[in-house]
Order: sequence, then C-alpha cells, then structure tokens
Amino acid sequence: MKNVIAYIEHKNGQARHVSFEAATAARTIADALGGKAHAVVVGGDAQAVAEALKAYPLDAIHVLADASLDKLIDPAVDALESVAKSAGPSLVLVGNTMIGRDIGSRFAARMDAGLNADVTEITVEGGRVACVSPKLGGLTITTCAFKSEYGVAALRPNVFAAKPAPGAGEIVAIAPSGKPNLVALEDDLDEAAAELGVEEASVVVSGGRGMGGPEPFKTILKDLADAFGGAVGASRAAVDAGWISHGHQVGQTGKTVSPALYIAVGISGAIQHKVGMRTAETIVAINKDGGVPIGDFADLLVVGDAFAIVPELAKVVRETKAARA
Amino acid sequence: MKIVVTIKLVPDTNADKRIDPATKRLVRTGVETVLNPFDEYALEAALQLKEKLADGSTVTVITMAPESGKEIVRKALAMGADDAVMLSDPGFAGSDVWGTAYALAAGIRTNGFDLVLTGTQSTDANTGDLPGALAEYLGVPGLTYAREVSLDGGRIRVKRETETGYQTLSAPLPALVSVTKSANEPRYPSLKGIMGAKKKDIKMVSLADLSLTKSVGTDGAKVELLALASPPVRGKGSVVTVADGVAGARTIVDFLKEKKLL
Repeated sequence: MKNVIAYIEHKNGQARHVSFEAATAARTIADALGGKAHAVVVGGDAQAVAEALKAYPLDAIHVLADASLDKLIDPAVDALESVAKSAGPSLVLVGNTMIGRDIGSRFAARMDAGLNADVTEITVEGGRVACVSPKLGGLTITTCAFKSEYGVAALRPNVFAAKPAPGAGEIVAIAPSGKPNLVALEDDLDEAAAELGVEEASVVVSGGRGMGGPEPFKTILKDLADAFGGAVGASRAAVDAGWISHGHQVGQTGKTVSPALYIAVGISGAIQHKVGMRTAETIVAINKDGGVPIGDFADLLVVGDAFAIVPELAKVVRETKAARA
Repeated sequence: MKIVVTIKLVPDTNADKRIDPATKRLVRTGVETVLNPFDEYALEAALQLKEKLADGSTVTVITMAPESGKEIVRKALAMGADDAVMLSDPGFAGSDVWGTAYALAAGIRTNGFDLVLTGTQSTDANTGDLPGALAEYLGVPGLTYAREVSLDGGRIRVKRETETGYQTLSAPLPALVSVTKSANEPRYPSLKGIMGAKKKDIKMVSLADLSLTKSVGTDGAKVELLALASPPVRGKGSVVTVADGVAGARTIVDFLKEKKLL
C-alpha cells in the first residue's frame, strides 16, 4: 500500500475530531510511503465539511454530496471503494467509533483488506505499514503488519494529533455508485445532542456503585464533567442497575477510553473496569474506602465523601478556569 | 424463517488473563472458557423473535471453535437454539477477523438463512468488526447496534443505538443485525432445556467442507503479528484521606495543577 485515505465522519456540518486526527495522520503516513493523502466525505453537508478539511494537509478531498445518503453505511463504503480503487493500494483510516467500525469492516471484507482495530500508533518501516493496538483491554500491546494490498486502521480517538497545515486539498467529486439503498433510515433521534461521547472526551468523570442511584449521574457528576468540558462515564455496576445508559459504560463490556484525565467516583476498580480505562494518562479516584483495588493503579486516590468532594471540585475547577480566562 | 446466531467462545471475563511470551497466545490454562457475553443478547433476541413468530421458525447457532468447545455450544442449545454448526478444523486456527467473517459467511450460506444475529463485539478481541465484515460477505444489509428488533412483513426493523441517541432503520430480508446488551435480559437455561440440549444436533464442518476459494487461518490472515509488548505498569499513586469536601477538592486541584491538567 502506498496511499492513505481518511474517511471523514461528520454531523450537522462538522467533521468529528477523530476525522481531523485521521486527516493529519494520513499525511504523515503517506509521506513515509511516498504516496498521496486523500479524504472521503459523503452526505448532505459533504461540501461544507470538505471546505473545512482544506485546513489539513491533504492532496485530494473526494466528495459525494447527497443528503439522501446521510448516516447510511453502504453508500459510504461504495464511495470509499471507488476512491480506493482509483488511488490504488491504500491504507484507509477510520475512527474506532460505531460508524467507523461499520464502514471499515465492510470495506475490508469487500477489498479483502487487513483490518486493525483500536489503533494507537502507526509505523512505516521499509514501505511496510504496521499498527500498534492495545489488546485484551490493554493487557498486551500488539504490533501487526498488513499482508494485504489494501488495509484498514481504526484509530482510537484522542490518541493521534489533529494539526492543521496547508495542503493542495483539491476537491474531487465522487461518482455515485448507482446501487439501490436497501437500508432505509426512518428516524434519527438525538437524546443528548450536545453531549460528548466518552471515547472522544479528554476528561471523563465516571460513577460507580458508590453513587447509590441515578441522580448523581445527572447532577454532580454531570456538573463536574461540564466544568472540565468532559463526558460522564460509568462502571458496569451502575449501568446494570439502570442508573445510566450503556453508551456511557467504560470497561470490558463497554467502551475503552484514553482521556488525559479520568476521574473515577465511587468505583472500586475491578479488572472489568480497569481494562477500559487503564490507558488514561492520569487517573484520579474518589472513594470512601481506602482499600479499593483502584488505589493500586490510580495516580491519586482521595479517601472521603464523594458527595461533598465532587460539587466542591466542580466549583474550584470553574473558578480556576474563570480566573485564567 | 431461518434465524442464525453467531457465537464465540471466549476466556471468562472476570479472569485475570495473561499472554505467554513464547507462543504469543493467551494462556488458557486455568481460565474458564465461556460463551461471549455479548452473544447471549443476540441469542435471546433470536429466541424472542422465534417465539413471537411461532410459525416453525428455527434458530441455529454457528461458531468457529475447536471441538473442545462443544460444551459451551450446548449452553446455547440449552437456552433454546434448535441446532448448532461448528466450524472446527486446525486449518481455521490463527484466522483474523477477515478470515473468520469469510469462513462464517460460507458456513451460514451453506446452512441457509433469512436473518443473522450477532453480538456487537467479543470480550477478548473486542474489535467490533465481525458484524460488518460478515454482512458484506453475505451480501446483505447490516443493521448494527440494535436495541430493538422487530419483523414487519418481509422487512426487519431495528432501533439502532448511536453515540447520541438512536435511529430507526429497516431493510428487506435476508439481513444481518448486531444486538446490543441493552436489548434484553438473556434467559438462563432451564433444566428441561439442559436435558433437551443433549439430544440436539451439532453439525461439525471442516475446512474442506466449505470449499473456500480464499485461504484462511494463519496463512490467509491479512495481518501478521510482528511484536507483542507489555504495557507500562501503572504503579500505585498517592492515597490521601480527607476530612471534608473542601479538603478533598483542594487535594485534587493541587494535584491537577502540578500535572498541568488544570
């Protein structure tokens, strides 16, 4: 493979941050391979998103502007296939997100391409591309090289840098595949439009069994997360108790996160949870019990009453930020 | 109709796992193998559909696993699946997601299907890539992350979880649907189910039986493991006991400032 193609996810006319990370990585990897860096944008807002992408060092931005294709997987795979075939053997970068996994896996099957999930680093040596991924919840870190002409790497959000830099950024129209859409999108509802997902947030404030009920997730934890501009997460115990939806669950049967700061409130830190957050840069735990397992790997464990500490912390964080602004 | 559920055998979720540095494989000794917890939601969804249809529809479970995995497959049969297919052959060993999806698709096609249900991910590899790849190889629509599944005439309709809410999607059959853990509460096998499972058919399928045109297993894999490393060990940090909220907040703020996180 020689070229790199970043698949751009977008919503309401804005590209997702992980897609800017993919666009930036596309340049670096393409340079190491002596190839070109492309991006693919599909959907009603594709043209506007492509304009914003011009700030990133891409050679070409391929656009299929058609609102009827919004949020559908198959047309995105068709567009990616068409660009990949004309570019020649390439590495496709998607975000390790729900949409990114769907598109990347279908593309990989269609093109008989190797697939690396949850990638945290990409290396190029002697023209060979390899992907570094934590496996088994960070128990081991694998480096896997592609043996196929085409490859797919799903980038873990928040790990690769997004750096604007000038590029040719030629906008090229993608010809529609003409295939009928078998899947019909009948409804699309945002329950929490402004909320950032735990996978993408740079600060995650998670609650566990120690929260005692659903209320703290909507009040004190949410408020602390908001103070940091972060997201609310949860342990399996809290999700299984029905206190917060599964989309917020961090751990082996939930999401894996790598934020700059992870604050675990009332979470004991069983292996089930640990594997989902142990790659966070800094871990702070608040617990009433000083003997909880999380104390063995948190950078700081504060033993005390979370219901008193969390609101006070949110207040001080806001004051500190306001004083600096 | 024919409903097929893909299942995987994985090491117990709660076990502390380790990698053998010599073989670069997971040490399975002393670690119990279980049915991938995510697949139980797919199986439960399949059983509920079958019960609702009550028209002679069947549920078949299919897995790629060594013969020693039969006991776990029996659990799926005890829960209520009608029969099972095991792709079992040393030639499958070392298959990556690509090869697994490709071989499972061949197995599913041979058996016949109207609807394929999968879990969203496995607790061991955790790539979440199998449903999409499998749908592609089967040449059918893939509706992923469904928390509700219903049939309406010849169409399958799902409520798909998204990062911020949900979508309603529908597609004609045959189709593939991946089912999330918020979809249902998987049943426990009843005593009658456990007894009945012993008489149910587990069809063993070898690599040769599938007549694949592409190579699978280690040789056919599209990715090759170059290196395996241990993650940096997270040491024990400081533990501070505080008297009240103000002291707790101050401790954390001082720490974050020192780390330049605030």
